[in-house]
Amino acid sequence: MPLATPIHPGTPDWSGENPGILLKEDPEGAWSAMALFFRIVYSPEGAGEALLLYEDPMRATSLPQVHNVMLSDNEPMARYLMAHFIGKLPSLGGVPAFSAVQYLALDHVETSGDARSRYSETLRAGDLKVELIWEDLGAPVALELPVHETGTKEHEGFTVLIESRKASILVNGRALPGRPVPRVQAGLQTTSAFLYFSETWIWPPAAS
Amino acid sequence: MGERVAVNPGRVDWCGDNPGIYLKDDPAGEWLSLATFFRVTYSPHGPGRAMIVVGAPDRDAGHPQAPNLCITDNRALSDYLIEGFVSKFPSFRGKVGLAAMATLALDGHETHGSLETVYSEVVTGGGVRLEMTWSQIGTPFAVEVGPENSPTGAHDMYNLFFEAKDASITVNGEALPGRAVDRQFFGRTMSTAFLALSETWVTPRT
Repeated sequence: MPLATPIHPGTPDWSGENPGILLKEDPEGAWSAMALFFRIVYSPEGAGEALLLYEDPMRATSLPQVHNVMLSDNEPMARYLMAHFIGKLPSLGGVPAFSAVQYLALDHVETSGDARSRYSETLRAGDLKVELIWEDLGAPVALELPVHETGTKEHEGFTVLIESRKASILVNGRALPGRPVPRVQAGLQTTSAFLYFSETWIWPPAAS
Repeated sequence: MGERVAVNPGRVDWCGDNPGIYLKDDPAGEWLSLATFFRVTYSPHGPGRAMIVVGAPDRDAGHPQAPNLCITDNRALSDYLIEGFVSKFPSFRGKVGLAAMATLALDGHETHGSLETVYSEVVTGGGVRLEMTWSQIGTPFAVEVGPENSPTGAHDMYNLFFEAKDASITVNGEALPGRAVDRQFFGRTMSTAFLALSETWVTPRT
C-alpha cells in the first residue's frame, strides 16, 4: 500500500519499462539464454532503449563467437545500467557472459501486440535481428518493493509485473534454447519471463 | 516510512505516461486551457495514445467550433480514460468543454527533446496538429498516493513526477491562452505543468 506521505523521500535512479526473458532447459540447471530490454524515460544518462542479450550466459566471450551483447541507442545509458543495475542482479550480473559483453548501436525497435495476450519487442542492429515474444500473459500486479525485495538490494522500486508463462528469444529467426522457469518475487509465485512496465528504481534516503 | 506491503492487493487499471499542462492567466481564476497526454502500455482496452486538449473548458462545443478535442489511436481506451480518470481530475471536473470534445483518429505521434532541456509531445489527426511543450523542467521525484491524495479520489497511484515552470499548448501552431501557475499538489507548491511518467493506477481492494 502507498506510503502515508505522497512524495517518496528517496532519489529516483532510473525509470521506464524493463521486460525480460530468462530461459533454462533444466529448471535445476544453468540459464540457457537471457534477454533484458529497457525503454528508459529517465536516467542520469538520459533516455533511450537498450537490450542486454546473452545468447550463452555461461560463456565469457562475445562476438563473433556468440551474441553476448548490449544493443542501445544511448551507450552511456547502457553502460550506466550495466554498472549500477545489471551488475548487481545475481542472475544477470553473476554469469560469465556479463564481463564479456560487447556494445552495439541499436538501429530500430518496434513494439507490437497487447500486454493482455501476446506482446513483442523486435530490435535491429546492423545484420542482427532479435525478437522477444511474451505469451500466455497473466494479470498485472503492482509491486512496491522495499530494498530487501529488489534484485540489487540497494534500491526501492515501483513496478507493474505481468508474468508470461510462454516466451521466446529469437536471434536472426532462430529460437534460443530453454523455457521460462518458476521464480518467486516478493512472495509471489511467478516466472522468469515478465513484462515490467512503469518501473522506477529509487535510491533510499540513506543512499541518496 | 510507513508500513509497506510489497504486492498491492488492488486491481491494476492502467499504466503508462501521463504528462499534463493546465493554464490560467490569474492563479485565482478559472482554467483557460487544459491538456493531458496518455501513452498507455497496459489497460483493459489495450495499449494506445491519446492527447486531450480542452482549449475552451467552459464552452459547450467541440472541434472545429471550439478547440476541445481528443486525438487517439484507441477510441475505447480514450473513452475509458476520460470517463474513469480525466473527468474526475480536479482541473477537468465539471468542464462542459470536456464533455463536448470531438474525437479524431490519430495519424501520427512524435516525442521531441529531452527532460534536461525542452520536451514535447506532438500528435496529428484529422488535419489537426496538437503540441504540448514543457520547459524549465525540475528534478524528478517519486509519488505514491492512496485514494485520499490521488487526483480521482478513488485510486492508489504511483509515478515519477517532474514539474515544469513553463509550458505551452498549441493547436495547428496557435498557442492556447494562459500560462502555468503554482498550485498546492502532493503537499507542495508546484507548477500546473508537469510530466508524470511511469504512472500506475490501481483500484484498491475493498
